[in-house]
Amino acid sequence: MSRGNHLLFWTMMSVIGAVIAIYVLFPIFWLMLAGFKSADELARLPVSFWPSEPTLQAYTDLFAPGTQSAQLLDWPRLISNSFIVAVSSTVIVVFFGAIAGYAFSRLSFPGRDLILGGLLVSRMFQGAALLLPTFRLMNALGLEDSLLGLIILYSAFGLPFATWIIASGLREIPVELEEAAMIDGASRLQSMVIVVLPLATPALITAAMWHFVGAWSEFAFASILIESSRNTTVTIGLASFVDYFTLEFNRVGAAATIIALPVLVVFFFGQRYFTRGLLQGAVKG
Amino acid sequence: MGSVSLTNICKSFGGVEVLHDISVTVQDGEFVVLVGPSGCGKSTLLRCIAGLEEVGSGDIHIDDRRVNTIAPKRRDIAMVFQNYALYPHMTVAQNMGFSLRLARVGAEEMRAKVDEAAAILGLEDLLERYPRQLSGGQRQRVAMGRAIVRNPKVFLFDEPLSNLDAKLRVQMRSEIKQLHQRLKATIVYVTHDQIEAMTMADRIVVMRGGRVEQIGAPLELYDNPANVFVAGFIGSPAMNLFPALLADGQVVIEGAGTLPAAPDAPPGEQPVIVGMRPEDMTISDTGIPAEVVLVEPTGAETQLLARLGGQIVVLTMRDRIEATPGQRINITLPPAKIHLFDPETEASLRTPVATNRSREVDHA
Repeated sequence: MSRGNHLLFWTMMSVIGAVIAIYVLFPIFWLMLAGFKSADELARLPVSFWPSEPTLQAYTDLFAPGTQSAQLLDWPRLISNSFIVAVSSTVIVVFFGAIAGYAFSRLSFPGRDLILGGLLVSRMFQGAALLLPTFRLMNALGLEDSLLGLIILYSAFGLPFATWIIASGLREIPVELEEAAMIDGASRLQSMVIVVLPLATPALITAAMWHFVGAWSEFAFASILIESSRNTTVTIGLASFVDYFTLEFNRVGAAATIIALPVLVVFFFGQRYFTRGLLQGAVKG
Repeated sequence: MGSVSLTNICKSFGGVEVLHDISVTVQDGEFVVLVGPSGCGKSTLLRCIAGLEEVGSGDIHIDDRRVNTIAPKRRDIAMVFQNYALYPHMTVAQNMGFSLRLARVGAEEMRAKVDEAAAILGLEDLLERYPRQLSGGQRQRVAMGRAIVRNPKVFLFDEPLSNLDAKLRVQMRSEIKQLHQRLKATIVYVTHDQIEAMTMADRIVVMRGGRVEQIGAPLELYDNPANVFVAGFIGSPAMNLFPALLADGQVVIEGAGTLPAAPDAPPGEQPVIVGMRPEDMTISDTGIPAEVVLVEPTGAETQLLARLGGQIVVLTMRDRIEATPGQRINITLPPAKIHLFDPETEASLRTPVATNRSREVDHA
């Protein structure tokens, strides 16, 4: 490619990328702005883009005791429920994913590559197909309507792909490093913990981020398994909020913004690992 | 320091035998180089000594201890890897002290040992750096430092110089050799580069296809190659090897002429493979006729490609010569310098002659 063509190519790619970004981000931005408007302003015509009198009323309504929204849903509780579920299942998934990923990348056993490929295939099934069987299974196990049930379920769903990400990350780490460690006096476990896993940080963080975001924002399974308000998570709360406050959409905007915050924070701090972790397996064949 | 003895080592990878009945002894303080083309099993053999691979059968002793079933960390060896295998997330000092840290050596003693090794290798100013901040040669030194710190019985080197550029390789080559002389260490060193083997080794083990072809001091192998493979592998430019006929004490080169064979050549008439080192051949008034094909002056010497019968042969001349392509010359070489091999077995047909060692240099 000549220099001029090169420039043209990247200009076009940038324009296309910008259009896609605006298309995806605009509704989210619109919703966030709604959270800073008053209910009156939202109902007013013509529709204004920027809040004419920015207010935090919707946010205080969410948490202030005695307000209508706070009576309907205990937001601090929803948030802590979601945190418990997302963080616990992330810890479980990364822990077991690291052990399994290590085995897939370092030990040779019959059918290894087939099983590793199979882990990816499991990603291709639509979760919806599993809703009913999962519901019956969790009922049979007595894990319906419990946070523990969600933690186990999310961990089970997340583990295959996390294992795959971590295994591809570990494959990039030269075996000689471990051999050197073992000659230097390390056991296999020591060489894994002291040498291999610190170097696999990008892959571990990628798996953790991917799983945390998925678990935090999961809706379908939570909505069929969770019944009591005690165990409700943020996504279910938001959905019911949409039903309650169709006319006071500023509260929905505020709630959605708060729910999106952890995801934004996770990506803000982890994105450099995230791209590296996903690329790790891809660059070398 | 220690000795290593390998007795009848065999090893297979999934039905393919990669090491066939290998027996080698490395004396205390000796520098032994395993050399051969890629896939000859030299690295596998080294990894067996390290304990990173298990042997199929046979015994490995380090000093008088059989180590076959002993874990690498208890074999009292240190290994320098081709890609250095430095821990990227640790500083130079942490890399070098890693084995001591695992052995729970106190911080003060560790510091002292690391400093001592760093001083030997000139790494004092780099101790707080990370491997990615070092040049290739520096990384190589750190890898050696990590080995030295452990003060092992045996040092194992797996192609340690092949990732370096040519100039640095020559420099590190002499550094490793000096290190050996200074530490009086037992070293087993793997390389595919026969010049490295020749320049560094006390003894060379030439391997091919999982077998030992010949074991000997560098010049012994050079002067008395046991077979066609060793003859062609050791020496650069390589020995000229081509088919000929041995008849009544004469080597008959088809289409060119005859050369007198050495007195210890077998009697009678038989086909042979004849071997002539490029630097043993000279241009003279008599001898077998040849035609100059190419002249390559390198400064210190001149290489000459000439057509001898149906063969192209390489001659290396110390003197600068005036020759032009197409010019007719006569080539001769002393009968004792003509190597003869059996075309069937490829084994040498001559009894080895004593290698002329260079005169002792007066260490005044």
